Amino acid sequence: MEKFDRIRIGGLKVLEEGACVASSSPLADHRLGPAVCAPLARARINLSFLTHVAGDREVLCTASDTGEAALALLKTHADPAGSLALKPGTAILAVFPHDKRPEVIGTFIKSLARTPVVLHGLASSPSAITAVLSSSRIKPAVERLFEHFYFPGFASPEEFFSAQAPPKEYLEKVVATYQEKVNKVYWIIPQSDLDLWGMSIASADILAGFAAALMEMGQLGLIIPFLVALPGLGSQEFILSFSTARRQPGGDDHGSEVRRILRNHLPEIRPMRLTPVAGIFLHGPHFGDRYGIAHSLVAALDQAHISLLALSCTISSISLIIRQHELAAAQVILGNTFAAPVEAG
Amino acid sequence: MSSKYILIVDDDPDLVETVAMMLEAKGFEVGKAYDGIEGEEAIKKRRPDVLILDVMMPRKNGYELCKELKSNKWTNEIPIILLTAVGEAVPTTSYSHAEGMAVEAEDFIPKPVDAATLVEAVLRLL
Repeated sequence: MEKFDRIRIGGLKVLEEGACVASSSPLADHRLGPAVCAPLARARINLSFLTHVAGDREVLCTASDTGEAALALLKTHADPAGSLALKPGTAILAVFPHDKRPEVIGTFIKSLARTPVVLHGLASSPSAITAVLSSSRIKPAVERLFEHFYFPGFASPEEFFSAQAPPKEYLEKVVATYQEKVNKVYWIIPQSDLDLWGMSIASADILAGFAAALMEMGQLGLIIPFLVALPGLGSQEFILSFSTARRQPGGDDHGSEVRRILRNHLPEIRPMRLTPVAGIFLHGPHFGDRYGIAHSLVAALDQAHISLLALSCTISSISLIIRQHELAAAQVILGNTFAAPVEAG
Repeated sequence: MSSKYILIVDDDPDLVETVAMMLEAKGFEVGKAYDGIEGEEAIKKRRPDVLILDVMMPRKNGYELCKELKSNKWTNEIPIILLTAVGEAVPTTSYSHAEGMAVEAEDFIPKPVDAATLVEAVLRLL
């Protein structure tokens, strides 16, 4: 068997018994709030995962028993030109912490590409990189992760699986109903001077090339504060969107380096760069246990006419990318919407 | 002055990261563990000045670990803050409030945690 230099990392996590709904609406912008988040919030459906890229598509996950209901709700609000698909029997696989290191994120993607798995979604949280997979592929995916990562808490995949509580018992333990009038967030952290990269790749087969690009970015001291990947509906196409910054703020523009690396590893791809953008990271609103959190956020930004360029809700946090000149207004809006300390940007 | 060592044990990696950032910003040295067993191992390696412990975790939950630490003469003086989702904000979980109250932690803070409250609680226990 091929030997790899394993990266030491804190841990991994599997959230089983999910269902994944993918929606695509290439002709309609600003529909995330009214057509996706609002109806799900009204129906009190908890989301365990949500990703969005502006003007194009979303992937969301719910508990398995609410997947059909989520699909039905989205259908009633769907753009006639759009598409919707339900994938039952999914699970979320996460490794953490990535510390925004491209090599950790890249190794996670490389490991999935080598398993191989069908990727239904990919997203970063402030600490974790997560993927949505079919439950049936979790075991081989975890086995492969152990070839690329060293997890101090578990000596082997067998040890990891034997330590997992039965899914039902685990769900009973973690599902809770919060009753706050204003949703509490641990911390809202803005990050300015980012680039947002977007690209369409023909199939997940070349994700390994993207993983290699990320690892080279790591060697240059870049960080990846945000990443989402959303598969196309009825095709093998993928949309990848990620932000980059230097580990130390300031310094020369790194856009040309990133573009060069992407072209080296993905010669067929034409990456688009939007700059400057800003990220806002809402740590720990526990959106997965509290229906309506994503709706509160999206509705507040919509009301303030702030355009959401990309969004990821995974693990317990929400990360969003907006245009830099809208950062100050977004901070005020989010400070009014959530009970949280806000760190100055 | 040597910095105080705070250990955070929680299976939510985003929470661990957030609390670590908050405490590091205050000059604390921070250790991280992601379930009760890992937390136990981390305590064996280095005794924390304060332990922040989540209740709901796989393998060994926070109540179990707290009880074990408080019944061991080598660890019973470690101040423990239990982060619990069994407070007023969260009435429906499989953990009972009574079970929590029977555990001799120094402080209980309901989730979602207020950052300032948590830092104040740590400072109070040092």
